[in-house]
Amino acid sequence: MSRLKPPAWFVLLLPAIIILAAVVLIPLLLSLYSSFTPYRLTRPDSLYRWIGFANYEKALTSIHFWTAFGRTVLLLTIALNLEMLMGLGLALLVNKVTWGQRTLRTIMMFPMMFSPILVGFQFKFIFNDNVGLVNNALQSLGLTDQAIPWLVDGKLAFFSILVAEMWSATSVFAILILAGLFAVPRDPIEAATVDGCTPWQTFRHITLPFIMPFIYIALAIRSLDVARAYDIVQIMTNGGPARRTELLWTLIGRTGYVDARMGYANAMGYISIFLAIFFTVYFFRKLNAARGELGMAS
Amino acid sequence: MNENLKHRIKARILKALHLVALFIAMAIICVPGLWIVLNSFRPTVEIMAKPPVWIPSELNLDNYRAMFGAVGEGGVPVVQYFTNSLIISVTSTVIAILVGMAGGYAFARYRFKGKAGIFIGLMLTRAVPGVSLSLPLFIVMAKTGLIDTHVGLILVYVALNVPFTIWLIDGFFRQVPIELAEAAEIDGCTRWQAFWKVEFPVARAGIASAGIFAFLTSWNEYALASQLTRSTFSKTMPVGLRDFTSEFTINWGGMCALAVLMIIPALILTFIVQKHLIAGLTFGGVKG
Amino acid sequence: MKRSGINALLGATALSMAAGLAGAGEFDGITLQAKLIGGQQYEALYARISEWEAATGAKVEVISKKNHFELDKEFKSDLAAGTLGWCVGSNHSSFASQYPNLYTDLTPYLSAETIAEFVPANIAASKIGDALVMLPRAQFDVSALYYLKDIYEDEANKAAYKEKTGKDLMPPDTWEEVKEQAIFFTDAPNFYGTQYAGKDEAIVGRFYEMVVAEGGQLFNEDWSPAFNSDAGKRALQWFVDLYEAGAVPPGTTSYLWDDLGQGFASGTIALNLDWPGWAGFFNDPAASKAAGNVGVKVQPAGSSGARTGWSGHHGFSVTESCEHKEAAASLVDWLTNEDSQKLESAAGPLPTRSAVWEHVVASAEGDAYRTEVLQAFQAAASHAFPAPQTPYWIEATNLIFPELQAAILGDKTVEEALETAAEAVDELMQEEGVY
Repeated sequence: MSRLKPPAWFVLLLPAIIILAAVVLIPLLLSLYSSFTPYRLTRPDSLYRWIGFANYEKALTSIHFWTAFGRTVLLLTIALNLEMLMGLGLALLVNKVTWGQRTLRTIMMFPMMFSPILVGFQFKFIFNDNVGLVNNALQSLGLTDQAIPWLVDGKLAFFSILVAEMWSATSVFAILILAGLFAVPRDPIEAATVDGCTPWQTFRHITLPFIMPFIYIALAIRSLDVARAYDIVQIMTNGGPARRTELLWTLIGRTGYVDARMGYANAMGYISIFLAIFFTVYFFRKLNAARGELGMAS
Repeated sequence: MNENLKHRIKARILKALHLVALFIAMAIICVPGLWIVLNSFRPTVEIMAKPPVWIPSELNLDNYRAMFGAVGEGGVPVVQYFTNSLIISVTSTVIAILVGMAGGYAFARYRFKGKAGIFIGLMLTRAVPGVSLSLPLFIVMAKTGLIDTHVGLILVYVALNVPFTIWLIDGFFRQVPIELAEAAEIDGCTRWQAFWKVEFPVARAGIASAGIFAFLTSWNEYALASQLTRSTFSKTMPVGLRDFTSEFTINWGGMCALAVLMIIPALILTFIVQKHLIAGLTFGGVKG
Repeated sequence: MKRSGINALLGATALSMAAGLAGAGEFDGITLQAKLIGGQQYEALYARISEWEAATGAKVEVISKKNHFELDKEFKSDLAAGTLGWCVGSNHSSFASQYPNLYTDLTPYLSAETIAEFVPANIAASKIGDALVMLPRAQFDVSALYYLKDIYEDEANKAAYKEKTGKDLMPPDTWEEVKEQAIFFTDAPNFYGTQYAGKDEAIVGRFYEMVVAEGGQLFNEDWSPAFNSDAGKRALQWFVDLYEAGAVPPGTTSYLWDDLGQGFASGTIALNLDWPGWAGFFNDPAASKAAGNVGVKVQPAGSSGARTGWSGHHGFSVTESCEHKEAAASLVDWLTNEDSQKLESAAGPLPTRSAVWEHVVASAEGDAYRTEVLQAFQAAASHAFPAPQTPYWIEATNLIFPELQAAILGDKTVEEALETAAEAVDELMQEEGVY
């Protein structure tokens, strides 16, 4: 009898698998089950009534769910792309600096020190139409004599949330891309400069492919990190007014806890997980492709 | 000569543009944050004033004094919140980094069946919206008696951070050519030694940044903490922010003061870890 | 043995308990876990817990302190997970009906005299069916109309208003006048006529008041929606008209109580229907620009001639699963007794005991502002009614408020909005098997 020796990779991965199973998988199965029941928090016995796909049917035929779904996709797409571009720009700006870079890098990461819930409060006050910083500044500078309802007008509220979200998350992109920039080998760049390439060409053909994996890591991580934006949106508008800024997370949170309809909320949660899976798998493929170009593929 | 001058002027302009752009970017980053810091030193009536008061007429420590004062007079158990936050964040970060290093190394260096699947599977655990996770998690924690304990939150934060750390560290290990490690092994090192002597130093930058991320995530997390903590025994600072809101009111000045207390340690830590980040990068100097 | 001993002791001290004086050492060795509402205005009372501990020998362990919305979430999670080992919880009349099985009926643990000392309306609002699920603390909320005095004394204003409407400029007595004056006073973006809570339960509560003031009802007897009526339309139209006229801050649909309070304190709002808890804040020069300039008046009447006040109060409850209900009830009694209510109401909040009302009014003598405030709120309280006592109230408000907002912001007409909201509430009630 030969003793079964588990492969090294498995041993290395085991701690991660155990902890994720305990903290995420088990609760997730529980909520998967509850999505097939009319589970109400205030009536624990409702957990034992099986209603099949009724919750899913309800969600999939609900106009509120689909508008929230669409708006979430829109927000994610716009936010991720803008954050990526601005993060790249910021990283390049900071990377060029030769003096005091450490301080600059710390300042660059400043928004990351702010808890999302704090960011929510902060931007709620900044965009307050009556005593908010933005309106005060615009009025004091004489740019407008209106109280602009930042958090009420559908487009403006979306914009305000976008600004808050970008303010808090662009740093994540910037620091990861900056780390990537540091890892870019010097030789090819020097060679390219000697060969008379313009800075743009050097960037496009040497630097960019090299930092692409980092960009995709950042994109994927951020698209996973949907829960973060929940705090911000919940505090700023909580989906309102008149559902104008309703996102999946505010809808699910309100249904689950305020209305206490956890079964229905979990069904919506599961549908929204597919959204996250789609984004993640998409970026993961891109990441592997980018690595393939650099010869780092697995 | 003329050509040369033109070139120099162009370089100057570019440099000035760079500085201006940098300044604007930094200003946008700083202003909303510094506004919080400023508000923590101002009385609420001035913050909320209309027409606005741009130049503060008085700055004082009243909000801080009240916060450290007695409960009922504006006091909030800040010291306990701070200690809880610190214990929970530091412990969970250290564990997440260790687990993440092991996992990241496995993905970067070993070939095995179903690798992509397992990898995506791990990543997707982070895709679960906190809202749908929080209640089942609460039930599991309640059954195991981990509600309102440090251990409970530490476990959750490790799980929250592991996918991220694995991914990040994996990326950095991949930047280290496998030939380097193999060369070390040929030189008589064990795989273990090769890891510490060759691969770890190079990937240190990645580990440092993963560490910062993990720490900041735990330090700032609110949704799950608000669900899993109850009393001063385990409440963290983001949850403590809610102490300044009540049914009808919000003490914005006080909230800003606590926010400043939250930001300072994070800022200091980030600044310190920066050094290691640089060291890790310059030490290696490995060409890819 | 030990338990029966405690019970025997209890019997012996029942009389003293009823008077709010617990016997010494009565609950020796008992530890009660409590979940209390946190926040500055609520905390002063908790200092009295140690006196109760000293008097009875019991220990109180506060295992959670959060604001009501967070507590609400926590209670629901507790129900779901079955973590109900704690005994005493803060409660609120607007939330209480959501968890009918969480709290025990306090009647067996209190004497009839004790209960009779509270304001009857508050006791009625503390019941679910016949069960008295909480004892009210001195945190009673009903709204009255705050206004800035100087704008009513300004001669130019008086003349202009007279010319415009043919009426004398006086603090308004009907909602129609509020609308008229609000539009008259508005000088956007620096000054607005009025404002209202614009989201969540808050706006539905305001709408509720208005519907009843217009002679309608929110729900029929069987809990089917009744607000899609002429009265409902008139009520909603009032909110819409103010918004369309620009007489409220454009952000009003995103406002909750804190925004409203800060808004009035910034001196940029003429008329503000608001809670008693703000009275002190509004007149405090360190907190408010309106200080010294605040008038308070009973809430205006609707077209039906009725004044209406959606009200709520805080209280303390004992869980059904509590092991030491006698001790817990004694603590709840202590926290709501006369001394406790005097302590709390001294800081401004309104009491829920008849004797403390008299005490508060008497001690305000000589303080003109405080007297004005108390008179207004005492009058307002006489028109008060609690939130509809159905477990689905909060859920119904979540269906109604986005539709009200849609009408106010002009996304829908008043008719469409009420139609949609009524359908949604009807569906909810049917789904839950209410009828």
